[in-house]
Amino acid sequence: MLTCDNYHLPITLQDALVLWAAAPEGSRLVAGATDLLPWAREGRAGEVHIPALVDLSRVAELHGYTTAKGRVRLGANTVWQAFLTDSALRRLLPCMPHCSSWFADDQIREQATLAGNLANASPVADGTPPVAALNGVLELAHLEGDTIVARTVAVSDFVLGPGRTVLEPGEIITAVTLDSASGYGGSFQKVGQRRSLVISVACCAALVKTDNTGCVFEDVRLSLGGVGPRPIRLNRLESALRGERISHGLIDRAAHMAAAEVASRSRQQYRRSVVVSFVGAAIRDALADQSDVVVNFQDTEETASV
Amino acid sequence: MSELWVELEINNRKIARKTQAHKRLLDFLRDDLHLTGSKEGCGAGECGTCSVFVDGRLVKSCLMPVAKASGCKVETIEGLAAPGQLTTIQQAFHKTGASQCGYCIPGMVMAATSALRQNPQAGIEEIKERLGGNICRCTGYTKIFEAVELARAVIAGDQSEDVLAEEPVGKSYIGHNQRRIDAPARLSGRLKYAADIRMTDMLQMQVLRSPHAHARIVSIDTSEAEAMAGVAGVITSEDVPGTDGFGVFVHDQPVMARGKVRHVGEAVAAVAAEDLITARQALAKINVVYEELPGVFDPEEAMQPGAVVLHDYAADNIVKHIPLRKGDVAAGFAEADIILEENFSTQQVEHAYLEPEAGIAYVDADDVVVVISPSQNITHHRQMLSRILDRPINKVRCIMSPVGGGFGGKEDMLYQGMLALAAMKTHRPVQLVFTREESIVASAKRHPSRVRYKMGLKRNGQILAIRFSMISDGGAYGMSSEGVMRKAAILSCGPYEVANLCVDTTAVYTNNTPSGAFRTFGGMQAQFATESMMDIAAEALEIDPFEIRRVNMMLPGSKTHTQQELNSASLDRVLEAAEAASRWETGAPHMRGATRSDLGGADTRAPCTLGARFAGGRPGADGKERVW
Ligand SMILES: Cc1cc2nc3c(=O)[nH]c(=O)nc-3n(C[C@H](O)[C@H](O)[C@H](O)COP(=O)(O)OP(=O)(O)OC[C@H]3O[C@@H](n4cnc5c(N)ncnc54)[C@H](O)[C@@H]3O)c2cc1C
Repeated sequence: MLTCDNYHLPITLQDALVLWAAAPEGSRLVAGATDLLPWAREGRAGEVHIPALVDLSRVAELHGYTTAKGRVRLGANTVWQAFLTDSALRRLLPCMPHCSSWFADDQIREQATLAGNLANASPVADGTPPVAALNGVLELAHLEGDTIVARTVAVSDFVLGPGRTVLEPGEIITAVTLDSASGYGGSFQKVGQRRSLVISVACCAALVKTDNTGCVFEDVRLSLGGVGPRPIRLNRLESALRGERISHGLIDRAAHMAAAEVASRSRQQYRRSVVVSFVGAAIRDALADQSDVVVNFQDTEETASV
Repeated sequence: MSELWVELEINNRKIARKTQAHKRLLDFLRDDLHLTGSKEGCGAGECGTCSVFVDGRLVKSCLMPVAKASGCKVETIEGLAAPGQLTTIQQAFHKTGASQCGYCIPGMVMAATSALRQNPQAGIEEIKERLGGNICRCTGYTKIFEAVELARAVIAGDQSEDVLAEEPVGKSYIGHNQRRIDAPARLSGRLKYAADIRMTDMLQMQVLRSPHAHARIVSIDTSEAEAMAGVAGVITSEDVPGTDGFGVFVHDQPVMARGKVRHVGEAVAAVAAEDLITARQALAKINVVYEELPGVFDPEEAMQPGAVVLHDYAADNIVKHIPLRKGDVAAGFAEADIILEENFSTQQVEHAYLEPEAGIAYVDADDVVVVISPSQNITHHRQMLSRILDRPINKVRCIMSPVGGGFGGKEDMLYQGMLALAAMKTHRPVQLVFTREESIVASAKRHPSRVRYKMGLKRNGQILAIRFSMISDGGAYGMSSEGVMRKAAILSCGPYEVANLCVDTTAVYTNNTPSGAFRTFGGMQAQFATESMMDIAAEALEIDPFEIRRVNMMLPGSKTHTQQELNSASLDRVLEAAEAASRWETGAPHMRGATRSDLGGADTRAPCTLGARFAGGRPGADGKERVW
């Protein structure tokens, strides 16, 4: 059970940073509280008393999103449901709606933020793979005197390990910026114990862009979650596909390369076989998700040989 | 504990008041405003019994700090329809029988309302997905989905409101679609389950549970907890005035651990305090010194000579052995053309009813100890309590509150004694509400079982002899184990007439969570083994699986395994109906043709796939805004 001495609801970033800098040791930031509250239960943290909870959900500067120079800047208060309900975000970030539909449920997605998901730094967070595929960067802010000072960190550098990030005391994630991937097809594969309301055992995000004849991979982005302490971008695989003629055989060969990336300590064999089929399926689903392009495979799935 | 001023609108009424800063919206609704239609089934966002609208968006109120709702418009189940009325969706739930125990229903109605508000044309796959955050343990969801589709049709004007009305009864209620009379109370959230009841001056109880599977209790020091402000009383087994022991067959379980603990999660002491937080804090002040003992966690190990003994009265750790004999098994096997031997095992299962255990006890003005709980067996609980509390039976009263799902799991007594003792000690009403975690740790489970099976058959599929031996893990206490073993033995070899059988079912004490009643009561474990054997035999003898069952099925005049002569039997008709409904392709199990005709038909259910919302077009591809 969670109890606290103080619950703050600041409405400006300045106030939030002041409160956060002054918060006694053991205090916590609150976004959607969907990780925080279940954590404070029997079997996990149990009885938790927190000096100050600083709730960011009313901070105006963290609301909404903007686009500029090929990037989308999502305020830290952006919730998962927005990736489904906001048509511009669906177009700009094609892998996010697929990830979102696998994420928790409609109700939790109304509360849960992408920033909170990244800050929680679970090795099986669904947010990290698609953000990594979109070359995500986190904007972090802290106070120096009265001045707000910002720095940026790539998502791949942000997570240090399970539950650990580069966030310094007094620092708040203010935004997550992502490549705008309009015109790409996106997909997300996930396996867990159930279909709804389930944490991934492994997951995979993909973004694919072909030339307009649907014959050649112009760009491919792939990343895996749940297979190691940090999200993995499949760089080797991506370059093996980029610029190549699209064929099932090629996709299958590429997918097999992914097995080598599995570094998680538990259920390695299982995760390896899952990852191979995930990568294949992720690429094919992302190809099918591209709007206005009909993909032209060089071979058929039956004739493809690995 | 700091306080917070919240101003918000709930069901179109302005609310402004102080509350504790750490509260969740769910606590505020239930405890401060007595809006108990929203339930707490898990407290971790998994089950959806607490779903409410905040500014038009459906959220789980157990995951929302109340501060977040300040300044917002909140809509709860109580606010959907005018008093005494039901919305179209609620009426549709009533019509299709979607509400059973009712505990998930307020949340489910909220989720259905949200789904149809978001997309009044939502197809069945989308409906399933949008209800994906709400768990029901009674219905299997079919009737709920039916209700949402019916409501959609009525709201859209595709069907008239008449379809929601009560259907006139013809000559018989049998085969008639009768609306349940208790459904509106559940659909409107008005029905009070034990956790929803508030009494003046009521205390909250919390239970200290054992972290050890097997340990001697050296000492329990409650003095520090007793001395805390707000604590009204602490109880241990010392407080039991009568004969301490309960169970359905053997009274081997003390109200709270006495001398030693036998499983993780066993109650050791309990605190009744002015509020929940004080009670929880007081638990941390109780000092229990344990001396750990070796434990035994496997029933077959527990049966070995020299194994750790749990109960002095049962040196062999046997809770109950039920032997059943019929005919001459050796002769039967000698005549058999084929003998099959297999081992089967089944796992422990939690009932996971959506209502965690809860109850209230008080001593009334006539000195009657009253216990209100969702007990599935109040008469027996009352008799046991009378002995434990050392009171004549007319001074013990058990009231059954609505059961928010039981499935047998609320049959075995568990916490009712503790509540009674605390009420007697404090002379105030005392309420105990389990958390989900506590329910899983402390309540009885389905018996894990191992079956050794030997079956002898003739070439035509006729069973000549069966040797069936089941070892079940009874866990730390007897509870319903004996009954479960009896039922497992009675049903062991299935609805088949077997001339020669030798059946043994045995429940064994271990330091695992106690096993108890769970629907089918041992039958499921036995049938899993028997029906698997039937299929294995069909394959070995190259006989159609329906055929081998027909060869052996009990008929009028057959003698059951316990040698009762049947004067009626219906398996022939059941098999016929199942064969037709499954579009069975006749032949031995491995003789299937190239295509399967039994899959994917109108009466089969496809697995849920996610992304039904994408089906209406690619995101943004058509340029048109859809409701997502
Ligand atoms: C039933 C259920 C199902 C779930 N399903 C999934 C799932 O399918 N996939 C998945 O990945 N996760 C899932 N989760 C976990 C959780 O919902 C997500 O991780 C969510 O995105 C967390 O976001 P939040 O806004 O609720 O974070 P919070 O709980 O508010 O915060 C999480 C952590 O991040 C910190 N934090 C929050 N915002 C900031 C900020 N701006 N700057 C710095 N630190 C910050 C907090 O201090 C805290 O430590 C599920 C949770 C539940 C209860």
